[in-house]
Amino acid sequence: MSVEQNTDLIPLKVHGVLSDRKTDTQIVILRDQINAHVLPIWVGKTEGDSIRLALDDGVPARPTSHDLITSLLTHLGMTISHVVVTEVQNNTYYAAIHLSANGLERTIDARPSDAIALALRVKCPMYVVQDVLKRRNGDGGEAWLTQFDPKEFDEPDA
Amino acid sequence: MLTQMNIRGLLFDPYSNAYIVILRDEQNSDVLPIWVGKSEANAISFALENVTPPRPMTHDLMKSILDNVGAKILSAVVSDLNNNTYYAKIHLWYGDSEYAIDSRPSDAIALALRAEAPIFTNEEVLHKQNSEELERWLENLTPEDFGKFET
Repeated sequence: MSVEQNTDLIPLKVHGVLSDRKTDTQIVILRDQINAHVLPIWVGKTEGDSIRLALDDGVPARPTSHDLITSLLTHLGMTISHVVVTEVQNNTYYAAIHLSANGLERTIDARPSDAIALALRVKCPMYVVQDVLKRRNGDGGEAWLTQFDPKEFDEPDA
Repeated sequence: MLTQMNIRGLLFDPYSNAYIVILRDEQNSDVLPIWVGKSEANAISFALENVTPPRPMTHDLMKSILDNVGAKILSAVVSDLNNNTYYAKIHLWYGDSEYAIDSRPSDAIALALRAEAPIFTNEEVLHKQNSEELERWLENLTPEDFGKFET
């Protein structure tokens, strides 16, 4: 069964990256295609900056660590087919990177921040396991998002 | 000609709000100070102190990807220095070929430490460093710095 046919997986896109001034962290806002679900994931500053760079198709002065991983994959002839946010436990999200190398499939445990930063660079699909979204929606994701001023999406480093 | 370097320490530079990785050769005759960002310094210090974080950090993920496909990290080489910017290469063995992949020194060092692979530099970098470093050091000095040495 292909990834798309697997109804447990819901495709996601990155809606934006916010700065949380209180904690010096950043929040990646993931949404599904029809904007029915929103999944905010807290990430470190470096990971948030890296995701924002990829969103803007920006070229940093020096390659980021995620650019290096992308370069390693290209050199060694590997591709990322997709990434999946697989689980949430005690407010920690888990992700998996699905890698193809010489016809072999590998699934690698990763933080969602790394998985997203890589998916944006290699332009592969991102998914979330439906159960993770259900649990998240118990917290009122959509209401939570409205507390942010839309302008903040454009001024992350303020 | 490559010289093997060891990590002698990780310092915080309050002036540039950055961290400095101090590399030294075996005889301690050459020192290579490399300015790195906070998260790269963190990645290096975790490896130096053998700390395993609860979730894989970016360099742990990098190593995990390479381990998963059977690629071996042979070495990290600080290969060039230009206008105060260091360049490095990660040497890998994968399939039946060797690869040399461009990298920032901070990433190459963080990865080499996790793979227990050696870190090298070449004589040209050591030579350039000696001349560039003194220049930069002098440029960055302010009258206040001199004041600190008065007792």
